Amino acid sequence: MTEAVLMGAGTRRELIAFRIGDQEFCVDIMSVREIRGWTTATPLPRSPAFVKGVINLRGAVLPIVDLGARLGLATSEPTARHVIMVVKIGERTVGLLVDAVSDIINLTDDAVQPTPDVACDTVRMFVKGLFALDGRMISLISLDHVLPETEAEAA
Amino acid sequence: MDPLESIKATFFQECDELLTDAEQGLLALEAGDTDPETINAVFRAVHSVKGGAGAFGLEDLIRFAHVFETVMDMLRSGEMHLTDDVAKTLLRASDVLADHVEAARTGGKVDEARSAPILAELQALAGHEGLDDDGDGGLDGGEIDFTPLTLSIEEDAAPLAPPVPEIPTAQVWEVYFRPRAEMYAKANDTALVLRELARLGKAEVVLDQSDLPTLDHLAAEHAYLSWTIRLETEADEASIREVFEFVEDDCDLTIAREGEEPAQAAPADDFDLAALLAKAHAAPSEPEAPAAVVEPPPAAAAEVDVAALIARAQEAAPIIEAAKPAEPPRAATPAAAAPPPAAAAAAAPAAPPTATIRVDLDRVDRLINAVGELVIQQAMLSQRVLESGLARSSDVALGLEDLELLTREIQDSVMAIRAQPVKSVFQRMPRLVREVADMVGKRVRLVMEGENTEVDKTVIERLSDPITHMLRNAIDHGLETPDERQEAGKGAEGTVKLAALHRGGRIVIEVSDDGKGINRKRVRGIAVNKGLIAEDAVLTDEEIDNLIFLPGFSTAETISDISGRGVGMDVVKRSIQALGGRISISSEPGKGSKFTMSLPLTLAVLDGMVLSASEQTLVAPLSNIVESLTPRSEDVHFIGGQDAVIRIRDTFVPLIDVGVSLGFRDAPIDPASGVAILVESEGGGKAALVVEAIQGQRQVVIKSLEANYQQVPGVAAATILGDGRVALILDVDSLVSNSRRKGGRPEKRMAAA
Repeated sequence: MTEAVLMGAGTRRELIAFRIGDQEFCVDIMSVREIRGWTTATPLPRSPAFVKGVINLRGAVLPIVDLGARLGLATSEPTARHVIMVVKIGERTVGLLVDAVSDIINLTDDAVQPTPDVACDTVRMFVKGLFALDGRMISLISLDHVLPETEAEAA
Repeated sequence: MDPLESIKATFFQECDELLTDAEQGLLALEAGDTDPETINAVFRAVHSVKGGAGAFGLEDLIRFAHVFETVMDMLRSGEMHLTDDVAKTLLRASDVLADHVEAARTGGKVDEARSAPILAELQALAGHEGLDDDGDGGLDGGEIDFTPLTLSIEEDAAPLAPPVPEIPTAQVWEVYFRPRAEMYAKANDTALVLRELARLGKAEVVLDQSDLPTLDHLAAEHAYLSWTIRLETEADEASIREVFEFVEDDCDLTIAREGEEPAQAAPADDFDLAALLAKAHAAPSEPEAPAAVVEPPPAAAAEVDVAALIARAQEAAPIIEAAKPAEPPRAATPAAAAPPPAAAAAAAPAAPPTATIRVDLDRVDRLINAVGELVIQQAMLSQRVLESGLARSSDVALGLEDLELLTREIQDSVMAIRAQPVKSVFQRMPRLVREVADMVGKRVRLVMEGENTEVDKTVIERLSDPITHMLRNAIDHGLETPDERQEAGKGAEGTVKLAALHRGGRIVIEVSDDGKGINRKRVRGIAVNKGLIAEDAVLTDEEIDNLIFLPGFSTAETISDISGRGVGMDVVKRSIQALGGRISISSEPGKGSKFTMSLPLTLAVLDGMVLSASEQTLVAPLSNIVESLTPRSEDVHFIGGQDAVIRIRDTFVPLIDVGVSLGFRDAPIDPASGVAILVESEGGGKAALVVEAIQGQRQVVIKSLEANYQQVPGVAAATILGDGRVALILDVDSLVSNSRRKGGRPEKRMAAA
């Protein structure tokens, strides 16, 4: 595992990097509770396409969000090689379906560049920023909007 | 939590218990109990509420409780006779007292319009009866009505006790006050007492610390200090003594006019338990204790944990039987065996430890959840072991069987922790009955049975509304007015019975009255008028009775505040069905009617039918299911293009393809190739759910979907099956109502069945 330490001012943080298709993303390590292999999910009726269903995580019912589909990337049916990252979003625990977890990255906040204007709205909603690492580009994901909007619940 | 806040919270918890005690005592008195101990018990309860309120400075509560207490005191001393009217006033006063406590808890205000008349009535009772000693106690309603003229809400909390023949001029009193260790052990503080005393007049307080030993001889829990107070006041001796009310039994107290020979006033309580214990323990076992004491001893003593003290008392008393935890402290303190009521009230905070503990509900819930997981894991493990081909007689399989038994046992025990007697709901009902009876001008006696029947807390919380509604209904519609009753040859007072019992793994709540019963002819007429049934429908008596559960049905000719908005019984039925319960009614004209509702003992698990549809495993709550059948193609008809109905014994009910309804597939399966499950939803709407197969009946643990995700239409919750997969629990009501939105009104046809 390569550990890249970027020097500079700002808060240092640890991130978990993962891969969907040929793109790399990362989230704050503090929000990740565990990483587990893919198990077949029970589909939920009338749910958005990116919600793969629910699985049993030691007794808790855990919704699985296909992060690729959420970001608008092309996705394929999940296989045993796929990985579920269990993350905490607010009070909720959610499983994110990704292709593979690749790295733990150490960096400071000032290494993150703002998302360029080129990106479409969907992407800008999730991608907080970009940074370069060993010639690769990694997008920093914000988890706040990963779950579907809950107007339906309020109604 | 702020320590004071937590003490306050405890106080309010105690208040609830005390108020219940008081109410029960008053009910017993109203029912004709003349045992002085019952009066004493009520007095003590009210007194303790007042005492606690005093500690927190809850002025309104104190004022009300004080007057209440005065009346109780007069009853106790025989100055006033207990009549029916007095008992009724006191009962209403206890309701208002509860309001005051609630207001103090929430920081709100009591409705003065409610509180003031009762306060006035109480004051009238106290004043009137106190002066008038003819002793017949015959207060009629008219007198009470007029007495509010004497009302002064702002009246000081000063005692309304009968005036003592004494000229209220300033006198000089000499008070000698020597607290014993018990006083500190009960968390009483000398400073508060002295401050209270100083309010009576000019006080000169002299501390006598001559008994204070040197630090190395000092026992932390002993009391060494005494005070002499020279008090210049207009108050009489009784008022001074009242200051010491709570500590009277735990101190040496003499009160005398200056120059008079002080009379020994302290009770002859020589058995100084704490002092003995302190002696016994201080020397050998606490060598470092004196060094640790930097505060003056009384302060240190005041911090002594009462429980610890009692625990030691238990150690010290060898006669203890472990099975009777409430007994030993009494045995150890014979002086407390027959305490005067006031002393008992003061001693209440230091009551012997009962065999219960208060636990945060969150912790219990966590435990229950964890055990739920354990059960599922255990089931998964068993399944895996079986699948792995191990013989049933192998050690592993046998061990798993034991494990299964053990897990069941743990689950039962854990559920029992959260189980509570229905008392907490029942005890609110007497008040409700009184209020409703007053409103509709009927005389009602409430009889309650099976208050100790236990049921899971999740169910308890939701019992209150249906019971309230059923009781209101029984009083408003079921019972006749006193005149009607007498015409019918019954006593003027009607009886409503509320009973709880366990039956077949469910809790059954029965509400019955001895009223006129259901007027079937009228019910039928209304149902026809409202188009709920066909005019020529042939219905059994039972079916007619149950028409009152149909939505939009109301039999009250005049719409009253209490019930009869036409949302009555169908709302009750719906809320009970939402809990997985059922409700039915039986009635006998002229003799009364009886509502019976049965509910599961817990909402944490559910009896369900495991189904498969579109390759998914689903669970339908058993409480919704009426029957299951294999549809024959000739019974399936189509209304228009898509909407199918099925004929079940001459009734057409809509067919709902579960797979399509949940969006798992686009085209419905041929009903004849699957299974139809006849379900009944809220309001009695029926439908047939079509699925591929029924897997079996199982008890499942209910898991929330909302916790991590959000509500899903058509799905009530989720569960985890033995294979570790999540299965969805169908929300039958929403499935049916979704289909009804496009379809007709199935309940019309239902009623005609």
